[in-house]
Amino acid sequence: MAFLTPLAALGLALAVPIVLLYMLRLRRREVTVSSLTLWQQVVQDSEANTPWQRLRRNLLLLLQLLVLALLVLALMRPFVIVPAVSAGRIELLLDASASMNAADMPGGETRFDEAKRQALSMVDTLGQGDAMTVILVTDVPEVIVPATSDRAALRAAIAAAQPSAAAADWVAALTLAAADAQNAAQASFVIVSDGGLGAAEGLPGIPGEVRYLPVGRAGDNLAISALAARALPGGNSQLFAQVTNYGTRAAEVIFDLRVDGRLFSAQRYTVPAGESLPLVSAALPDGFETLQAGLTRPADAQVPDYLALDDAAWAVAPRAGARRVLLLTAGNRFLEQILRTLPGIQAFRGDINRPLPAEPYDLYILDGWLPPTGLPAGDLFIINPPASTPLFTLGPDSAAAANILTRRDDPRLAFVDFADVNILKFKTLTGADWADALITADGGPLLLAGETGGRQAAVLTFALQESDLPLQITWPVLMANLMEWFAPAASVSAPDGLRVGETLAIRPPPSATTVRVTLPDGTARSLPIDRETLAFAETGAPGLYRVDILEGETVIETAPVAVNLFAPEESAIAPRPAVTLGGQAVAPAERDAVGQRELWPWAALAALVVLLIEWYVYQRRMQARTVFRPALRRQGAR
Amino acid sequence: MPDERLFDETTRRKLEQLMLVATRVRAGAMKGERRSVKRGTSIEFADYRNYARGDDLRRLDWNIYGRLDRPFIKLLEDEEDLAVHLILDASASMDWPPDADHNQRKFWYARRLFAGLAAISLASSDRLAMLATSLDGAQPFGPARGRGHSLGMLRYVGGLAAGGATDLNAALKRYALRGGRPGLCFVISDLFTPGGFRDGVNALLSRGYEVAIIQVLSPDEVDPPLGGDLRLVDVETGQAQEVTIDGGLRELYLKRLAAWRDDIRADCLRRGIHFVSVTTDAPWEQVILFHLRRLGAVK
Repeated sequence: MAFLTPLAALGLALAVPIVLLYMLRLRRREVTVSSLTLWQQVVQDSEANTPWQRLRRNLLLLLQLLVLALLVLALMRPFVIVPAVSAGRIELLLDASASMNAADMPGGETRFDEAKRQALSMVDTLGQGDAMTVILVTDVPEVIVPATSDRAALRAAIAAAQPSAAAADWVAALTLAAADAQNAAQASFVIVSDGGLGAAEGLPGIPGEVRYLPVGRAGDNLAISALAARALPGGNSQLFAQVTNYGTRAAEVIFDLRVDGRLFSAQRYTVPAGESLPLVSAALPDGFETLQAGLTRPADAQVPDYLALDDAAWAVAPRAGARRVLLLTAGNRFLEQILRTLPGIQAFRGDINRPLPAEPYDLYILDGWLPPTGLPAGDLFIINPPASTPLFTLGPDSAAAANILTRRDDPRLAFVDFADVNILKFKTLTGADWADALITADGGPLLLAGETGGRQAAVLTFALQESDLPLQITWPVLMANLMEWFAPAASVSAPDGLRVGETLAIRPPPSATTVRVTLPDGTARSLPIDRETLAFAETGAPGLYRVDILEGETVIETAPVAVNLFAPEESAIAPRPAVTLGGQAVAPAERDAVGQRELWPWAALAALVVLLIEWYVYQRRMQARTVFRPALRRQGAR
Repeated sequence: MPDERLFDETTRRKLEQLMLVATRVRAGAMKGERRSVKRGTSIEFADYRNYARGDDLRRLDWNIYGRLDRPFIKLLEDEEDLAVHLILDASASMDWPPDADHNQRKFWYARRLFAGLAAISLASSDRLAMLATSLDGAQPFGPARGRGHSLGMLRYVGGLAAGGATDLNAALKRYALRGGRPGLCFVISDLFTPGGFRDGVNALLSRGYEVAIIQVLSPDEVDPPLGGDLRLVDVETGQAQEVTIDGGLRELYLKRLAAWRDDIRADCLRRGIHFVSVTTDAPWEQVILFHLRRLGAVK
């Protein structure tokens, strides 16, 4: 045993004033009694009976000196050398991802509880001069204690840490840790995790020693790994779900499905070990809004399911009137590419050699081709029209567009710049009074857009292949603007749902005043509308979120949003014996570093106990004055 | 009376109905109010006897002489007095507890007993001698006889003060040697005397006294409210004793006190001494009306 602050031993000098005070105090209180006769006999008796009498007289002094000695001992901070995981500057990465919720530890404890215990034991063995940073690794890694050697702060922060329901972002966490340790001479990184660093395994090594404390014992877990509803052409919705068994034994499970909160079906399946069971159902009722799927272990199940977070999943019905776009072209890679990349669009490619499909589409893009049967009902975007239509009359081609003017005040042309666009030739149009000429050149309009006959139509009067527009940055901007104009995006668009921790983008209409998001636990958050797109990031719990867009007190739009775990790397909870980092496997750490376990709390505790004893002894002596008082009344003449 | 009345009228009347009884002492010298085993001069007829020369002619029964022509002397019951001695310990230890009112103290209690017994004895025309003793000096009263001395007696008792130490042994011995006719002797004391009291009592007994001891203790002597590290100082001698009083030591004291009282009681019983031990929280009349009556010292 050694001492961290041996100078505190000087505190023992306090014994001198205590003894002095005691000697002063022991000028006994003088009390006159009517006769000493009996007392003298009693004192003789007692001294004859108890040889410890002298000692007992000084018991209080001894106890007080003992308290002082123990307190001084505590202040000297004695410690013993114990084996520790790591020493020096420690970056502790505490995995708080969804898989750490797995309750496979003894006593039904979660892996996170075990990880916290390991972290706390590291704090206990923190030596003099050692410092520790604790990083809670979730989807957004967070430094919960910056480098400190204050054990109380470390303990409090670790004890207060909670696991998240999201996948861990190890790349960010390791980057954060490496940055934090940059100025330290020699840092060691301790990863307390159930393994699997995901993308971080490919990271180049981090500067310093990496140690790995594995937690977790079992890998038995069943998860709903996918849940989605798709609107089939024709109206009905189709369910697609997938149940995955991440364990090593085939497991029985009851898959139940609730539609708008009401139990719709429940069926028992056997999922083979390590395989996924796809479940498809075309029989979803019409007009539903939300789906909730759950996994339940049958009462007679042999295989446990340790992680509960992934046993439930939610889905939202595909929005009616999603923007279904039919592209009719002889072949245009630019268009196909842009339609694939634009968000919120379901693009279909039509065959111009066959009749138009019977089911309606929201938008028809006619590229250099017009259907022989007349224009289809629906919005139209006609590019390089080959002939006149009821909407316009085609004139002769005009060569080399010059003096291109764009209407800068029109929202459809926001951020669109045609200054550097070269157009080989374009078609002149007339008779399109319904439309605004958005872009014009000498000779006629290049882009027209407007409403006619209850539909929106736009006409681009040149072939994309005959200009360098598709190669310009303004091309996707123009297309996005136009698509937005054709069918404004819903305020909330997350048809496939969100992963836990992902940000929900909300684009409220201009008339909205407030956006209210109701969390799965029923609490509501009001977001002020201070920008065009609001971001809601409080999606830390899986479940159904409801977004209400209010105009004053009236709800003008409401949409459910499903937030699911759907993270195979989290659902695969089998603990890894080692992690790979920088191309090297990191085996579980041995306790080979030198740590110090301080003993002062025990000394302080002992001091407290002795202090209590001292108090008791003192009270016992003082009580002799009063406690026996009632006895007097009973004494009478004898 | 200087301050408060030692006892009220009712108590006084009650006391005057009582009489002190000595079972062994029969040494009346004067006419008293108690029947004597000796023939005497009272009006109670006892017997006749023949006249002998020298008999007092006043006691000749002239009616018998007229009828029988023979002289008979009428014998009458003799009524004799009792010598009552009251000795009060007036040492400083009797003036206890010091922090209580004077009428809560042992000395006040003892004086009431002192005066009560004196009132009884005056009322029954006994020969009363009183002595309050301490090292400061003995304060005697009497001998006196008859109710006429009541006022003087009360004034004397009221004027007594406690102080100093007592050597009860010496005081009793001195009294036995000096004090005239032996009789019933009450000793009122706490018996906290350094030299003890047995030799003194023996001296009294050997002189033919009948002795009754009334031990007066205060409650805080029976169960001392003391604790902690103390330096006890004897109020009489000024001696000091350092003592650390805790629960165990208190127990020891209580045991010691009980043993001491039992020891005295047993010793008194053996030697035919009346012994009463009282604490001042018991009504003082009870000592006379109950305890002494039970012992047969009062009738």
